[in-house]
Amino acid sequence: MNPSWFRQPRLTAPVAGLHGRLFAASMLAFVGLFVVALAALVVADVGYVVADVGWANLGNFAAVLVSPEILAALWLSLWTSTTTVILGLVFAVPMGYALSRYRFPGRAVVDSVVDLPIILPPLVVGLSLLVFFQTGVGRWIESIGLEFAFQKKGIILCQLLVSTSFGIRAVKLTFDGIDPRFEHVAMTLGCTRAGAFFRVALPMAYRGIIVGGILIWTRALGIFGPLMVFVGAARMRTEVLPTTIYLEQSIGRIEVALAVAILMLVLTAVALVTIRVVGLGER
Amino acid sequence: MIRIERLNFTVADAAYKADTFALRNVSLHVRPGEYFVLLGPTGSGKTLLLECLCGLNHIDSGRVSIDGVDVTKLEPRSRRWGYVPQDYALFPHMTVRGNIGFSLAGAVAARVAEVMELVGVAHLADRFPQKLSGGEKQRVALARALAVGPRVLLLDEPVSALDEQTRDELCRQLKRLQQDTQTTTVHVCHNFTEMLSVADRVAVIDQGQILQVGTPREVLERPASTRIARFAQVGNLLSARAVADGTRLRLVCPGGIELRARIPESGEFEADVVAMIRPENIALTANVPENVPPEATILQGTVAELIELGPVVKVRVACGALEWLVSLGKREYTERNIRVGDRVHLVVAAENVHVMRSSPP
Repeated sequence: MNPSWFRQPRLTAPVAGLHGRLFAASMLAFVGLFVVALAALVVADVGYVVADVGWANLGNFAAVLVSPEILAALWLSLWTSTTTVILGLVFAVPMGYALSRYRFPGRAVVDSVVDLPIILPPLVVGLSLLVFFQTGVGRWIESIGLEFAFQKKGIILCQLLVSTSFGIRAVKLTFDGIDPRFEHVAMTLGCTRAGAFFRVALPMAYRGIIVGGILIWTRALGIFGPLMVFVGAARMRTEVLPTTIYLEQSIGRIEVALAVAILMLVLTAVALVTIRVVGLGER
Repeated sequence: MIRIERLNFTVADAAYKADTFALRNVSLHVRPGEYFVLLGPTGSGKTLLLECLCGLNHIDSGRVSIDGVDVTKLEPRSRRWGYVPQDYALFPHMTVRGNIGFSLAGAVAARVAEVMELVGVAHLADRFPQKLSGGEKQRVALARALAVGPRVLLLDEPVSALDEQTRDELCRQLKRLQQDTQTTTVHVCHNFTEMLSVADRVAVIDQGQILQVGTPREVLERPASTRIARFAQVGNLLSARAVADGTRLRLVCPGGIELRARIPESGEFEADVVAMIRPENIALTANVPENVPPEATILQGTVAELIELGPVVKVRVACGALEWLVSLGKREYTERNIRVGDRVHLVVAAENVHVMRSSPP
């Protein structure tokens, strides 16, 4: 998967005196602090679950975690977020390229509009979708068989609207970092503009596109607010893992809610590490 | 072959000194099979002009043609001119073989092997560009451009990023390759030595304008303006008042020094001129010189500074208020045992005094 030309550049280590070591230590201290803070939250969650359920009952508790409801929510979360990544990148790659390479009137406005879903509370996206499908255009879309409200398709629509901006931003930054001269040379070698994009710019943007995909996926997997408004929380139908956490804690089963959260964390961590190691060649 | 007629192009780019930079009314003719050099200081517009030739810049007005065919509106891919950019821009996700074969379809392997052999990069075929040295990258970029089978090869500062030894070697290789393949070549550079090692003809460009076109010798010895002379770091440039004196010009320089010079071929000259004398065209003697040409000027001065530059030594001689730069071969310098403070005589022959207008053209 990871081609040899994408190996991480070798970091050189200059001779470091006391100041250099102190500087490195202070930088790394921030990394440590952040990781420890997150780890403390996870440990607290695990501790709460173990204390509440008890060591002796952990086996029975695990059976709860693989109940049909939770497995259905897990499966729905995985396939919807993965579909969102694919659809999101279908938009993010051309949009990132266009915003990076072309100058057109109103470009600054468009650039800001792309960032809106990042800034807006996700709940607003759900509300806006609900309102939109009450309009003439929305009703027409539903009349041709594309129903989104309170449907699984609606989950993907919400995820797409909330998370694609992250992908666009990552891909645009990557194309910004690729000198257009590479494509220019490709054009002098017989490529059309599109040919130069597909044969040169796109392969060179490989890492950025993977990072964009990761950002879309993680954001899509975690959204909850717009789903509650636009698709509801129907068990076994429109229930994704964040919905499960909400439903479980609302009926007082805090330990199950926390266990699902831990499951989500583990799943996400495994997926991210795998993509980084296999896809980006990081260690 | 290539004809550029009244080309104008404006670009707003912070990379250039002003907010907007323009190529103004550029006209050039590059002959078939010629090694043509575009010479100019950094930011003079030479790369921009090369990009206009490739079709990478949409020009405002003017015409670019090749063999009489107008290519101004043709896309870069349709021109099929081999282009080697300054930083080589080798595709990092492809091996050397992939880079060279990029433009090819069909019988790729044979053509790639042929070009790699021609340029001497066959042993690098399976390496990625990141693993190549500067000189190797340059050769691969050249091979990639040649693989197209171009009618014209455009080289943008192809050796500027290399060390001196590699640069000399690659310049020789470029010249040999051009002579073997008879490919019309346009080479952009800012270095006079580099230009001299490859050019059949040269155009000097500055601030988006062509200042002079000619052979390297013409540009070096008969620069069209003081701008070119200064860029060529001639050394001895003197403001003077010119007076016609028979078949010669009498030049009255500051400090009362008088020089003789040929009247320009056009027969026209202004009262205020700049005289240029190349350091290697001034004779330096310790004793009063004998057998001096009748219209030569003899000056007396003191050696103020010696600048050793390997095979050449530059001697700075103070003659009253003026300082002259004289260039001597290392052997001549050693044999004469010249030292700072020595009293010397300088002989400036009329044939070696080049007269230019004092104002830029």
